[in-house]
Amino acid sequence: MSGFLEGARCSECMDWGEKRNTIASVAAGILFFTGWWIIIDAAVMYPTMEEFNHSYHACGVIATIAFLMINAVSNGQVRGDSYSEGCLGQTGARIWLFIGFMLAFGSLIASMWILFGGYVAKGKKMLCISTSVALHPSTFTPWLLGIRSLRGLVFKFGRTEDLWQ
Amino acid sequence: MGVYWPLFVLIFYVISPIPYFIAKRVTYDSDATSSACRELAYFFTTGIVVSAFGFPVILARVAVIKWGACGLVLAGNAVIFLTIQGFFLVFGRGDDFSWEQW
Repeated sequence: MSGFLEGARCSECMDWGEKRNTIASVAAGILFFTGWWIIIDAAVMYPTMEEFNHSYHACGVIATIAFLMINAVSNGQVRGDSYSEGCLGQTGARIWLFIGFMLAFGSLIASMWILFGGYVAKGKKMLCISTSVALHPSTFTPWLLGIRSLRGLVFKFGRTEDLWQ
Repeated sequence: MGVYWPLFVLIFYVISPIPYFIAKRVTYDSDATSSACRELAYFFTTGIVVSAFGFPVILARVAVIKWGACGLVLAGNAVIFLTIQGFFLVFGRGDDFSWEQW
Protein backbone atom coordinates (compact mmCIF):
# COMPACT_ATOMS: atom_id res chain seq x y z
CA MET A 1 0.00 0.00 0.00
CA SER A 2 2.82 2.37 0.76
CA GLY A 3 4.42 1.94 -2.61
CA PHE A 4 1.41 2.06 -4.90
CA LEU A 5 2.07 5.62 -6.02
CA GLU A 6 5.67 4.99 -6.97
CA GLY A 7 4.70 3.93 -10.44
CA ALA A 8 2.67 7.11 -10.86
CA ARG A 9 5.68 9.33 -10.36
CA CYS A 10 6.97 10.89 -13.48
CA SER A 11 10.61 10.05 -12.87
CA GLU A 12 11.11 9.14 -16.51
CA CYS A 13 10.16 12.69 -17.50
CA MET A 14 13.65 13.80 -16.62
CA ASP A 15 15.01 11.83 -19.55
CA TRP A 16 13.41 14.23 -21.99
CA GLY A 17 15.83 16.82 -20.68
CA GLU A 18 15.79 20.04 -22.60
CA LYS A 19 12.75 19.12 -24.66
CA ARG A 20 10.37 19.02 -21.72
CA ASN A 21 11.32 22.50 -20.60
CA THR A 22 10.87 23.87 -24.10
CA ILE A 23 7.48 22.23 -24.52
CA ALA A 24 6.37 23.44 -21.10
CA SER A 25 7.41 27.01 -21.78
CA VAL A 26 5.75 27.00 -25.22
CA ALA A 27 2.53 25.56 -23.78
CA ALA A 28 2.57 28.10 -20.97
CA GLY A 29 3.10 30.88 -23.49
CA ILE A 30 0.17 29.71 -25.60
CA LEU A 31 -2.16 29.54 -22.62
CA PHE A 32 -1.05 32.83 -21.09
CA PHE A 33 -1.43 34.87 -24.24
CA THR A 34 -4.64 33.09 -25.28
CA GLY A 35 -6.08 34.15 -21.93
CA TRP A 36 -5.13 37.74 -22.58
CA TRP A 37 -6.59 37.72 -26.07
CA ILE A 38 -9.84 36.21 -24.77
CA ILE A 39 -10.28 39.07 -22.34
CA ILE A 40 -9.32 41.62 -25.02
CA ASP A 41 -11.93 40.05 -27.27
CA ALA A 42 -14.58 40.35 -24.58
CA ALA A 43 -13.64 43.97 -23.92
CA VAL A 44 -13.82 44.82 -27.61
CA MET A 45 -17.11 43.02 -28.26
CA TYR A 46 -18.92 44.59 -25.33
CA PRO A 47 -17.60 48.12 -24.88
CA THR A 48 -20.34 49.40 -22.56
CA MET A 49 -20.04 49.16 -18.81
CA GLU A 50 -23.48 47.52 -18.40
CA GLU A 51 -22.55 44.51 -20.47
CA PHE A 52 -18.96 44.16 -19.39
CA ASN A 53 -17.74 46.07 -16.38
CA HIS A 54 -14.21 47.01 -17.38
CA SER A 55 -12.98 46.91 -13.82
CA TYR A 56 -12.98 43.12 -14.26
CA HIS A 57 -9.67 43.53 -16.04
CA ALA A 58 -8.10 43.79 -12.59
CA CYS A 59 -8.30 40.00 -12.24
CA GLY A 60 -6.07 39.44 -15.19
CA VAL A 61 -3.62 42.15 -14.23
CA ILE A 62 -3.19 40.77 -10.70
CA ALA A 63 -2.80 37.27 -12.11
CA THR A 64 -0.09 38.48 -14.46
CA ILE A 65 1.77 40.21 -11.63
CA ALA A 66 1.50 37.08 -9.51
CA PHE A 67 2.81 34.92 -12.33
CA LEU A 68 5.80 37.24 -12.81
CA MET A 69 6.49 37.17 -9.07
CA ILE A 70 6.38 33.39 -8.89
CA ASN A 71 8.68 32.94 -11.84
CA ALA A 72 11.15 35.56 -10.66
CA VAL A 73 12.17 33.29 -7.80
CA SER A 74 14.13 30.19 -8.67
CA ASN A 75 13.83 26.94 -6.78
CA GLY A 76 17.41 27.18 -5.62
CA GLN A 77 16.77 30.46 -3.86
CA VAL A 78 13.81 29.02 -1.99
CA ARG A 79 15.65 25.87 -0.97
CA GLY A 80 18.69 27.90 -0.01
CA ASP A 81 21.25 26.00 -2.05
CA SER A 82 21.99 28.57 -4.74
CA TYR A 83 25.31 30.36 -5.00
CA SER A 84 23.96 33.87 -4.67
CA GLU A 85 21.50 34.66 -1.93
CA GLY A 86 19.62 37.34 -3.79
CA CYS A 87 18.72 40.64 -2.18
CA LEU A 88 16.10 39.20 0.18
CA GLY A 89 17.74 35.97 1.27
CA GLN A 90 16.07 32.61 1.57
CA THR A 91 13.28 33.73 3.91
CA GLY A 92 12.58 36.71 1.70
CA ALA A 93 12.35 34.44 -1.33
CA ARG A 94 9.85 32.23 0.47
CA ILE A 95 7.72 35.23 1.51
CA TRP A 96 7.86 36.53 -2.06
CA LEU A 97 6.71 33.18 -3.39
CA PHE A 98 3.97 33.02 -0.78
CA ILE A 99 2.66 36.45 -1.73
CA GLY A 100 2.84 35.50 -5.40
CA PHE A 101 0.77 32.38 -4.84
CA MET A 102 -1.72 34.34 -2.73
CA LEU A 103 -2.23 36.87 -5.50
CA ALA A 104 -2.57 34.15 -8.10
CA PHE A 105 -5.18 32.16 -6.25
CA GLY A 106 -6.92 35.32 -5.14
CA SER A 107 -7.35 36.43 -8.72
CA LEU A 108 -8.59 32.98 -9.65
CA ILE A 109 -11.20 33.07 -6.88
CA ALA A 110 -12.17 36.61 -7.85
CA SER A 111 -12.72 35.53 -11.43
CA MET A 112 -14.98 32.70 -10.28
CA TRP A 113 -16.85 35.19 -8.12
CA ILE A 114 -17.33 37.46 -11.10
CA LEU A 115 -18.55 34.54 -13.15
CA PHE A 116 -21.17 33.46 -10.64
CA GLY A 117 -22.02 36.75 -8.98
CA GLY A 118 -21.84 39.09 -11.89
CA TYR A 119 -23.31 36.96 -14.64
CA VAL A 120 -24.90 33.68 -13.67
CA ALA A 121 -26.84 35.04 -10.69
CA LYS A 122 -28.13 38.01 -12.61
CA GLY A 123 -29.37 35.75 -15.37
CA LYS A 124 -27.49 37.54 -18.10
CA LYS A 125 -27.04 35.63 -21.27
CA MET A 126 -23.51 36.83 -21.78
CA LEU A 127 -21.95 33.70 -20.42
CA CYS A 128 -19.35 33.82 -23.13
CA ILE A 129 -17.81 36.95 -21.67
CA SER A 130 -18.11 35.78 -18.15
CA THR A 131 -16.38 32.50 -18.84
CA SER A 132 -13.68 34.40 -20.62
CA VAL A 133 -13.18 36.55 -17.53
CA ALA A 134 -13.04 33.38 -15.47
CA LEU A 135 -10.71 31.57 -17.83
CA HIS A 136 -8.31 34.43 -18.00
CA PRO A 137 -6.39 33.91 -14.75
CA SER A 138 -6.81 30.17 -14.84
CA THR A 139 -4.78 29.99 -17.99
CA PHE A 140 -1.75 31.07 -16.06
CA THR A 141 -1.66 28.03 -13.84
CA PRO A 142 0.27 25.74 -16.21
CA TRP A 143 3.20 28.08 -15.92
CA LEU A 144 3.01 27.61 -12.17
CA LEU A 145 3.27 23.89 -12.65
CA GLY A 146 5.76 24.51 -15.38
CA ILE A 147 9.44 24.12 -15.84
CA ARG A 148 10.93 25.52 -12.66
CA SER A 149 8.70 24.05 -9.99
CA LEU A 150 8.05 20.80 -11.81
CA ARG A 151 11.71 20.26 -12.42
CA GLY A 152 12.38 20.96 -8.76
CA LEU A 153 9.64 18.61 -7.59
CA VAL A 154 10.60 15.81 -9.92
CA PHE A 155 14.24 16.19 -9.01
CA LYS A 156 13.44 16.13 -5.32
CA PHE A 157 11.41 12.94 -5.64
CA GLY A 158 14.01 11.47 -7.96
CA ARG A 159 16.73 12.01 -5.41
CA THR A 160 14.66 10.42 -2.65
CA GLU A 161 14.25 7.33 -4.81
CA ASP A 162 18.02 7.01 -5.11
CA LEU A 163 18.44 7.14 -1.32
CA TRP A 164 16.08 4.21 -0.82
CA GLN A 165 18.13 2.10 -3.15
CA MET B 1 -10.64 53.08 -49.59
CA GLY B 2 -9.19 49.91 -48.16
CA VAL B 3 -9.00 48.69 -44.59
CA TYR B 4 -5.37 48.47 -43.58
CA TRP B 5 -5.69 47.37 -39.95
CA PRO B 6 -4.49 43.78 -40.64
CA LEU B 7 -1.11 45.14 -41.70
CA PHE B 8 -0.31 45.53 -38.01
CA VAL B 9 0.51 41.81 -37.91
CA LEU B 10 3.68 42.78 -39.76
CA ILE B 11 4.91 44.22 -36.48
CA PHE B 12 4.45 40.77 -34.89
CA TYR B 13 6.38 39.13 -37.71
CA VAL B 14 9.29 41.49 -37.24
CA ILE B 15 9.54 41.20 -33.47
CA SER B 16 9.01 37.44 -33.28
CA PRO B 17 12.69 36.37 -33.65
CA ILE B 18 13.94 39.10 -31.32
CA PRO B 19 13.55 37.26 -27.95
CA TYR B 20 15.48 34.31 -29.37
CA PHE B 21 18.35 36.53 -30.51
CA ILE B 22 18.43 38.35 -27.19
CA ALA B 23 18.66 35.04 -25.33
CA LYS B 24 21.42 33.87 -27.67
CA ARG B 25 23.51 36.96 -27.10
CA VAL B 26 22.95 37.25 -23.35
CA THR B 27 24.02 33.70 -22.51
CA TYR B 28 27.59 33.42 -23.80
CA ASP B 29 28.15 29.94 -22.44
CA SER B 30 26.09 27.00 -23.61
CA ASP B 31 25.70 24.99 -20.41
CA ALA B 32 22.31 23.68 -19.37
CA THR B 33 21.84 25.96 -16.37
CA SER B 34 21.62 29.02 -18.58
CA SER B 35 18.69 27.61 -20.52
CA ALA B 36 16.26 29.57 -18.36
CA CYS B 37 16.85 32.58 -20.60
CA ARG B 38 16.19 30.46 -23.66
CA GLU B 39 12.93 29.19 -22.21
CA LEU B 40 11.84 32.73 -21.41
CA ALA B 41 12.61 33.60 -25.04
CA TYR B 42 10.47 30.69 -26.21
CA PHE B 43 7.68 31.89 -23.93
CA PHE B 44 7.67 35.40 -25.42
CA THR B 45 8.07 34.16 -28.97
CA THR B 46 5.06 31.91 -28.50
CA GLY B 47 3.17 34.86 -27.11
CA ILE B 48 4.00 36.97 -30.14
CA VAL B 49 2.87 34.17 -32.47
CA VAL B 50 -0.41 33.76 -30.56
CA SER B 51 -0.96 37.51 -30.71
CA ALA B 52 -0.38 37.52 -34.46
CA PHE B 53 -3.13 34.90 -34.79
CA GLY B 54 -5.48 36.50 -32.29
CA PHE B 55 -5.34 40.02 -33.68
CA PRO B 56 -7.09 39.33 -37.03
CA VAL B 57 -9.69 37.17 -35.28
CA ILE B 58 -10.61 40.07 -33.02
CA LEU B 59 -10.72 42.44 -35.97
CA ALA B 60 -13.14 40.09 -37.72
CA ARG B 61 -15.32 39.69 -34.63
CA VAL B 62 -15.95 43.44 -34.44
CA ALA B 63 -16.54 43.48 -38.21
CA VAL B 64 -13.66 45.80 -38.98
CA ILE B 65 -12.61 43.23 -41.57
CA LYS B 66 -14.61 40.39 -43.08
CA TRP B 67 -14.05 36.77 -42.08
CA GLY B 68 -12.61 35.95 -45.47
CA ALA B 69 -9.96 38.59 -45.00
CA CYS B 70 -9.27 37.19 -41.53
CA GLY B 71 -8.78 33.76 -43.05
CA LEU B 72 -6.30 35.15 -45.54
CA VAL B 73 -4.35 36.91 -42.79
CA LEU B 74 -4.23 33.70 -40.74
CA ALA B 75 -2.97 31.77 -43.75
CA GLY B 76 -0.31 34.43 -44.29
CA ASN B 77 0.68 34.15 -40.62
CA ALA B 78 1.11 30.40 -40.97
CA VAL B 79 3.29 30.79 -44.05
CA ILE B 80 5.48 33.46 -42.50
CA PHE B 81 5.99 31.69 -39.19
CA LEU B 82 6.74 28.37 -40.87
CA THR B 83 9.26 30.19 -43.05
CA ILE B 84 10.93 31.81 -40.05
CA GLN B 85 11.02 28.50 -38.22
CA GLY B 86 12.47 26.77 -41.27
CA PHE B 87 15.08 29.50 -41.58
CA PHE B 88 16.20 28.92 -38.02
CA LEU B 89 16.28 25.17 -38.47
CA VAL B 90 18.38 25.36 -41.60
CA PHE B 91 20.76 28.15 -40.68
CA GLY B 92 20.88 27.88 -36.90
CA ARG B 93 22.42 24.42 -36.96
CA GLY B 94 25.92 25.25 -35.71
CA ASP B 95 26.65 25.59 -32.00
CA ASP B 96 28.32 28.95 -32.21
CA PHE B 97 26.08 31.26 -34.10
CA SER B 98 28.77 33.12 -35.97
CA TRP B 99 27.73 35.73 -38.45
CA GLU B 100 29.91 34.21 -41.16
CA GLN B 101 27.26 31.57 -41.68
CA TRP B 102 25.29 34.07 -43.64
